Amino acid sequence: MLTGWNDIDRMFGAMDLFRSRMDSLFNDFDTSYRKVPYYLAGENWPRTNLFDAGDNFTLVAEVPGMSKDDLNIIIQGNYLEINGTRKAETPEGYKVHKSERGTASFSRSFTLPADINADKVEASLKDGILEMKLPKAETAKPKQISVK
Amino acid sequence: MANSKDLVKSEGGKLEKVRKAPVIVPLVDIFENDDEILLYAEMPGVVKEDVNVNLDNGKLDIVGYRKMAKPTGATEWEEFSEVEYRRRFSVPQTIDVSKVEAELKDGVLQLHLPKSEAAKPKRIEIKAA
Repeated sequence: MLTGWNDIDRMFGAMDLFRSRMDSLFNDFDTSYRKVPYYLAGENWPRTNLFDAGDNFTLVAEVPGMSKDDLNIIIQGNYLEINGTRKAETPEGYKVHKSERGTASFSRSFTLPADINADKVEASLKDGILEMKLPKAETAKPKQISVK
Repeated sequence: MANSKDLVKSEGGKLEKVRKAPVIVPLVDIFENDDEILLYAEMPGVVKEDVNVNLDNGKLDIVGYRKMAKPTGATEWEEFSEVEYRRRFSVPQTIDVSKVEAELKDGVLQLHLPKSEAAKPKRIEIKAA
């Protein structure tokens, strides 16, 4: 059974491909929308996006069915926490056929890449999307360094 | 695996991907009483111009397209993006289609499907013999 280097190389190549596919399989498991109900994944609700615009961050979160009284936001330094309760909206006198939306209270916290100036935070809630503008603390803002 | 909708333009043999939004399923709550069926579907970030509700021959289709605002800076992480919400239901033929009402509030589509008069349960009076 004489095998050339080429054959062994190809075998390892196939294993690498398999391994990278398995890795991304588990990534997808965590972030995939298709795994119903992903909402009950605990740590991962609500889904958020974070953008860094130099002087401030923008955090956008998906919070359908919430009004501003249902949400509670706490900020300290670079720590941001979003708490809330999804209300049970079962109307009186109705029989329930399906209830996927869930009514648990949730809490999600983040460590942001820089400290935030908590006094200047602006938050708005529209169409179930929470958008927060988080200005960075002065010490955390990017500074232009001039080279002499 | 993911059911994505690709719109491709073909220009002189070169395929260009124009828009790619995954199609996902909105979570729903369905309730019923004697007068109507009530359906709440979660579609955060969808505005009413981008929602389509279609009731045809016992099949109800709800479609919502969520566009994202332009990113306001460099992306640190992105857990949700532009998607199409799509779900299909079978509804009883006894729904009065002309009286269906839909409302979109806080990213939740609220659909009222009133039952036609003939389908409402009626109490039968028993007369003493």
